Order: sequence, then C-alpha cells, then structure tokens
Amino acid sequence: MGRAVGIDLGTSTSCVSIVKDGKPIAIPGPDQNLIQASVVSFLEDGNRVVGNSAKRMMIENAENTVYSAKRLIGRKYFSAEVKKAQAVSSYKIVEGENQSVRIRVRDRDYSVPEVSAMVLMEMKKIAEAYLGEEVDKAVVTVPANFNDGQRQATKDGGTIAGLNVLRIINEPTAAALAYGYGKGLKQKIAIYDLGGGTFDISILEVGEDVYEVISTAGDTYLGGDDFDDRLIDYFAERFMREHDLDIRSNRMALQKLKNASEKAKIELSEKLETRVLLPGIMETMDGPIDLDYTINRNYFGQMVLDLIQRTFKVCDEALQNGRLTVGDLDALILVGGPTKSPMVQEAVKNYFFKDPAGEVDPELVVSIGAAIQAATLTERKAGALLLDVTPMSLGIATAGGLMDTLIERNTPIPTESSRIFTTTHDNQTAVRIKVFQGENKFYEQNEPLGEFRLADIPPAPKGDPKIEVTFEIDANGIVNVTAKDKDTGRAQSVQLTVSGGLSKDEIDKLRKEHKDKDEEVATFKPTAELSE
Amino acid sequence: MVEEDFKRQINSLSKVIDDLDYYQILKVDQMSFEEDIKRAYFEESRIYHPDKYYTDPPEFQQKITAIFKRVCEAYRVLSDPEKRPFYTKLINGPDRKKYLRFDLRLLKAETEKAEDEGSSPLAKKYYKMAKTAIQNKDFKAAKINLQLAIKMESKNQTFLDKLKEVIDILASRKGL
Repeated sequence: MGRAVGIDLGTSTSCVSIVKDGKPIAIPGPDQNLIQASVVSFLEDGNRVVGNSAKRMMIENAENTVYSAKRLIGRKYFSAEVKKAQAVSSYKIVEGENQSVRIRVRDRDYSVPEVSAMVLMEMKKIAEAYLGEEVDKAVVTVPANFNDGQRQATKDGGTIAGLNVLRIINEPTAAALAYGYGKGLKQKIAIYDLGGGTFDISILEVGEDVYEVISTAGDTYLGGDDFDDRLIDYFAERFMREHDLDIRSNRMALQKLKNASEKAKIELSEKLETRVLLPGIMETMDGPIDLDYTINRNYFGQMVLDLIQRTFKVCDEALQNGRLTVGDLDALILVGGPTKSPMVQEAVKNYFFKDPAGEVDPELVVSIGAAIQAATLTERKAGALLLDVTPMSLGIATAGGLMDTLIERNTPIPTESSRIFTTTHDNQTAVRIKVFQGENKFYEQNEPLGEFRLADIPPAPKGDPKIEVTFEIDANGIVNVTAKDKDTGRAQSVQLTVSGGLSKDEIDKLRKEHKDKDEEVATFKPTAELSE
Repeated sequence: MVEEDFKRQINSLSKVIDDLDYYQILKVDQMSFEEDIKRAYFEESRIYHPDKYYTDPPEFQQKITAIFKRVCEAYRVLSDPEKRPFYTKLINGPDRKKYLRFDLRLLKAETEKAEDEGSSPLAKKYYKMAKTAIQNKDFKAAKINLQLAIKMESKNQTFLDKLKEVIDILASRKGL
C-alpha cells in the first residue's frame, strides 16, 4: 500500500506535502524548489516536461506549452471565462464534445482534467522520489468557490493521474488547518486567499480539533494573473503608441512580455521601482525594436487598485453571510503568492484592522493543510475535523423559470435534501430534472450542473408514481443524486448528463493510457537523494 | 476497529433518528443559547464525524455519515435566527411528526405571505403587473411597473426590494 500526500493544485503553481513523524513538510522538486509551476510543455519528440522546467519553455515552445489550465477546468466552452482565456492564451483552446473545453497541442486534443493529471503526476513523482516509496493516495485542494463540475473535473484529474483522491478540500480551509495544527486554538479566523487565478475568503471558527467554516465567498476568475495582464496591457499600449506595433499580435513576443511582466510584478514587492528591458522584442523593416520601460510601485498599485477592491466586496459578502464584522475576528491569514505584495498586504491590513499571522508561508500553507487532512483520513488518529460548507445554493428548475432551492449556500456538508416527483401524463416512463448551482432566483442565470433523468418508471395513471429524489452534497462538495419509489422503496434508476464533463469510461481509458505512457518514458529518475 | 458498543449505539440511533427533532439530535433543550448550540455541534461532530472512521467498512461509514448529516442539518436550522423560531413553532404544534425535518419551502411560503402588496389600488395593480412580467421574464416591463408602483408608495419595502432584484437581473443579463 502506498503513501498519502496533500497536493495544492494551483492555477500558476503547485506544491506537494506530507506529514512525516507528526510534522507536516513541503517536498522539494528535482530543482530543489518547494513550488512547481503548473505548466506542461509538449515537446516535438512526443515527450512532455512538467513544472518549473516547463515554464522555462514558455517562450521557445509557446504554442505547445499549457499554463493556467485551472482557469478552464470544469467550464463549458461557451462560458465567458473560456472566451476570456482564449483571448490571452498562447496555446489553442477548442470546443470538444458536449460543450466541453479541449486544449489542442501538436495536433492532439487534451481534456482539461488530463492536463491537470499531468501536473498531479509530476507532484506524485516528486513525493515518490523523496520518500522512496509509492504514492497512490492524495487529498487535493480546490478554491472554496469551485462548483460541482469544477470539483468533479479536478477529482477526475487525480484519477487519471493514478491517484486515489481521498478527498477534495477547499484551499482556505486547508490553510486554516495548517495554521491551527497542534495549537489547540479557540479563535475566529479569516483566510484571505488570493491565488494566481482565483480569490476566496473563508471565515472559520476553530475549537481545538474542530474547524468550522462559518461562511465562504469567492471569485473564481480573479487572481494574480489579472495583475500580470494589467502590466502586459500597460506595456503593450505604451509600445503601440510609440511604435505603432502591437506586441499582443505576435505570440512569441507576447509570451516574452508576459514573463517580463510577471517578473516585474514580483520585483515590485521588494523594490520601489523596476526596469523592464526586452531587446529586439519586435522586428521591423528597419530592424529590431527594444522595449525598455521603468515602472514604480505606486503606479502599479493604482493600476490594480480596483482588482484589490473587488476582493473586499467579496469579503463584505462573507462577513455579512456569517453575521460577523471584522471586529469579531481573532486572526487573519494570507494565502497565495500575490499576497506577498506589499500593496495587497497594506490594503488587507486596512480592511481587517489586523496584521496577518506571520508564521504562515502563503505559498506552502495550502498543501501542508492537505497533507494534514490526508494523514487524518489514513492514519485513523483523531486529527483535525473539518466542518465545511457548500459555497453556493443547489436547486432545480421549475416551470415558471424560478429556481427551487434545495440546499442553500453555506450549509454544512455533507448534507442532503429530498423532493418527491411524479408524472404529468398517463403511462409516462421518464421524468427529467435540471439541476443548477447559484444564487439567482431564476435558474437560467445560474450554472447548470446537468440533467437527471428518472427512467423506467412503471406505467401508471398521471400523478400516481411517487419518486423520492435525494440530492446529496458529499464531503468533497460534489453532488450525488439518488432516487427511490416512495411506495415500494425500490431504487429508481437515475441517468445523469453533465455538460462538459468526462464519462467514467473516458476517465478509465485515459488513466490506462497515461499509465502505459508513463512506464514507456520513465526517463526522469532522481539520481541524488534529496535532503531536507 | 470500531468498538462493539459504539457500533450498537450507532445501529440503534439509525433506527430512531427519523423520530427525533433537531434539539434532540444535538442533545440541547429548546431554550438553549446560540453558544450552547455551537458547542453541542462541535461535541457531536467529535463523535460522529465520518473522517474519524474513514478506514472502517463502508456499511458502517454509510450509517455514521447518515447520522452526521442530520447533526449538520440540525445545526444549520438551529443556528439560524430566522429558521430556528419557525422550526420550533412547528415541532411544538399539533403536526409535530410532519415537521421534524426542516423544509425551506415552508419558510419561503411564510415570508411571501408577509409580503406587502401595497395599499392603494393603483400601486397594487402595478405591482401585480410587475409580478406577471417577471413570470414572463420581461424584466424591462417589470422594472417600469415597479417604478410606477414606487411612485405611488415610495416607502413600500417589498416594491423596493423587488426593483433592486430586477435591476440586478438586468445588469447580469447585459454581462452575458
């Protein structure tokens, strides 16, 4: 039997941790780095490179290097988010079957869970190299505000990677777990989690070994990447004004500018001013033109002020839903790379009237929390007990266009709710139920989860059959639907069509495929024993 | 492995849980303060949280998860200042058995009954037209009718809330 790890599968970076001799630690990769880029680069010879070394290929192999795939996971092709990603990505995003998203690289289409699986496999390898043992189980984290489809797709990614996904837990919850581990706290804490692509705020009450999420709110399309995009646009616009050339129209130049912008952003956390120099970024008839600009922290701060303000709107919402004010909070924890920026820290401090907890590494804390949860589940010790909630309401479509809410947001999970359905005409053998997640009272404005079909209903006069349908949200935040005949107690078959998702057969097929491929190209073997 | 005693306890609890109200599930009395309810929730979680039994046989896990779901459900309702009094009234009434598990639809129906449909005939008429427009998803018409109703009765909270809702919907539609 293999070991269990905790994996933070981030938009821009990922990290793997384990509890070793009762102490949770993050594990370094082949380059000794505790954090790996969530990037997969597909090479010409059919091999692929994952992690920090893949990130270095983003310029030379721009069209075949996939990054920020998490922004696409569990999304439908026609969603606004996918359109937005399409506009800024250097790789091709195409439509797959059933409104799904596919990534086209070197003439092959990959599903998004498959790309996530590649990153997860790399994290698995890193842990195996460190432990000298097989790793076959993991707790994987997701943004608290991920919906059912996004959670399911992440879990599918784990399965494809050959991992038994013990549990999907929320990133801010994992961070709270890491913060409170072994401290016996009795506190109310706020987790401000600004990642590469998503923002979450969770408010928890910790009672020694129990971690109760009081409320959570988030924006699944707001993160550090948006800060980069602002810088890219600023430099590109300025360049255009001066030279009448659009850097964004040239994939390789855009990739160079993207890397430089990200670097400049990080430098502005340390320095008050930074210079961005890209020699010969654009070719013209008269020869190459350089991009050479300096930017200072204040100016950058103004550029992203509205993005930071947007996070506080979400914080207001979470506090309000928890019937709390900032004065009720005992501690503030910052999570995610972008919270290292002094501008973000300053703004957050002003909002919460509180200094953030200093002992927490914003980039490692989530994976450490996941490792603690993995240990709790597998080692049968009374570790930390999570009492999490569902981030959005679950409901079904009704004839008048309204959503009939079955489970409200911020309901503790696991939870369930039942409804009795019947037929509307004689001898009807099937009933369709459309399920949605979201807060709008009209179902059309919410996210469709899928359609359930109650089939093989025995012929009877209309209104006679009484089918009790139970909607469950499990500890992973994933929705399960079961049905039974109310009179006979017999289980009623339920067929589910999830738009955009992978079928079980597809997942099994991919899992086998990747396993074979892995054995075939098992070229990466760490040679040196890594020390702590 | 789980001790035999505890297994027996879970089995008998599974049999009676459908007959218990939320106060009985959390083992608190109806006069309890909010803090007592939270404390009880934490204590019951320490006993029934399925994560503690993750390596046990699936049948046992299923049973304990079913119980834990009820614990969560009980806390959800009893920790909510709006739901708790509504629920308490129902379980102390003649149809106690029918209301042991909270139903969101009942509370919603109750709130809608309390809706202020206006006092002047004209305001009533405009509000009714707005509601029909909403049913037909004609939010622009709904907005106009609500604005007219508000002109008649500028302090009617139901009208103001509805208008805000409709404006939000129109804004979100524009974003699509």
